[in-house]
Amino acid sequence: MSIDAILEAIYNWPISAAIRTDYFWFPFLESVHVVCICLVVGSIFVVDLRLLGITSNKKPVTELAKEVLPWTWGTFVIAVIAGTLMFMSKTTNYYADDFFRYKMVLIVLAGVNMAVFHLFTYRSVEKWDRDVPTLLGAKLAGGFSLLCWIGVVFCGRWIGFTVI
Amino acid sequence: MPVRSASGGPKKRPKNAACRQGTARFDAYDLPRRTSDTGPVLNRFISLLAGTDLSQAIQNYEWIIPTIQSIHILAVSIVLSSVAMVVLRLMGKAGLRTSIADTVKRYVPWIWGAIVVLAITGTLLVIGEPKRELTNAAFQLKMVMVLVGVAIIAAFQISVGRHPEFWNKTPEHRAGLKLIAVGTLVLFIAIAVAGRWIAYMIVDYAAA
Repeated sequence: MSIDAILEAIYNWPISAAIRTDYFWFPFLESVHVVCICLVVGSIFVVDLRLLGITSNKKPVTELAKEVLPWTWGTFVIAVIAGTLMFMSKTTNYYADDFFRYKMVLIVLAGVNMAVFHLFTYRSVEKWDRDVPTLLGAKLAGGFSLLCWIGVVFCGRWIGFTVI
Repeated sequence: MPVRSASGGPKKRPKNAACRQGTARFDAYDLPRRTSDTGPVLNRFISLLAGTDLSQAIQNYEWIIPTIQSIHILAVSIVLSSVAMVVLRLMGKAGLRTSIADTVKRYVPWIWGAIVVLAITGTLLVIGEPKRELTNAAFQLKMVMVLVGVAIIAAFQISVGRHPEFWNKTPEHRAGLKLIAVGTLVLFIAIAVAGRWIAYMIVDYAAA
């Protein structure tokens, strides 16, 4: 099955059609998506800014991560579910949209950045947990993450103007 | 039948409208209506704003509104997350090793900074599309909620500044304060939702 056939099959599902045509569901999903994205991005910023040594500097990195990131992940899951439902309503249009593609790439890049950070810099976190200024590796990870998620928000907003 | 944009806003710039393409998504459905009969004073104010050079500039470049909106949403994310972190602290759900006074010092200045950005970007959006915003029930409701939300944060910040020992000792044990804290978070979420809903409340584009 080609990707186009899959996208078209999903497009034709009753749930996709319902989201596409109902007056309430699309704005509702979009609202959930936006609120969750805001909480995801804002909470990631809290950690990124600590990695950059800009805010929350009195707190060890591990402590801040422990109190913030569970909420990040929780709201991320909800944002993905709402986003997937919106995608299903117009699969082919989103798939063909440049900004949708940029957004997906940026989310993947943010994930890779996080994985690399955990594989290398974060392994020795107990050595630099309270350091300010922070390690170069922490600064790079925090700064790159910040840029990725700013890009995600811009692309996400642009999708609303380009996907018909 | 008026055209309703998917999520971006009114379709009123046919020229070069690549990033403003509206859709007839809801055309077959019975939509809630708002008339454009908004009274002579507001209508004159809207015409005044729409006629300014700044409004024309915002309307004439199709990338300006999505850019302002993106900055607006980034500022919303700072406000929402900061409010959430303070509320979670008041609820005893996060950051318990930090005092409430210190939590307020960490997050509330960022809330005020982001609110300044929101006021500027929001004002630019109103100047760019005065009719879309000012006659919009979602926008009007949002502004009322913003005033209430700002008042709550200001009162809370003043109270924590004056009585840090009260806030540090007691809130976790007081059901009433927890309720107000959760209510404040719900209010700020409602503000964001009302903002998103502005795009779905517009019907009369021709006159815009």
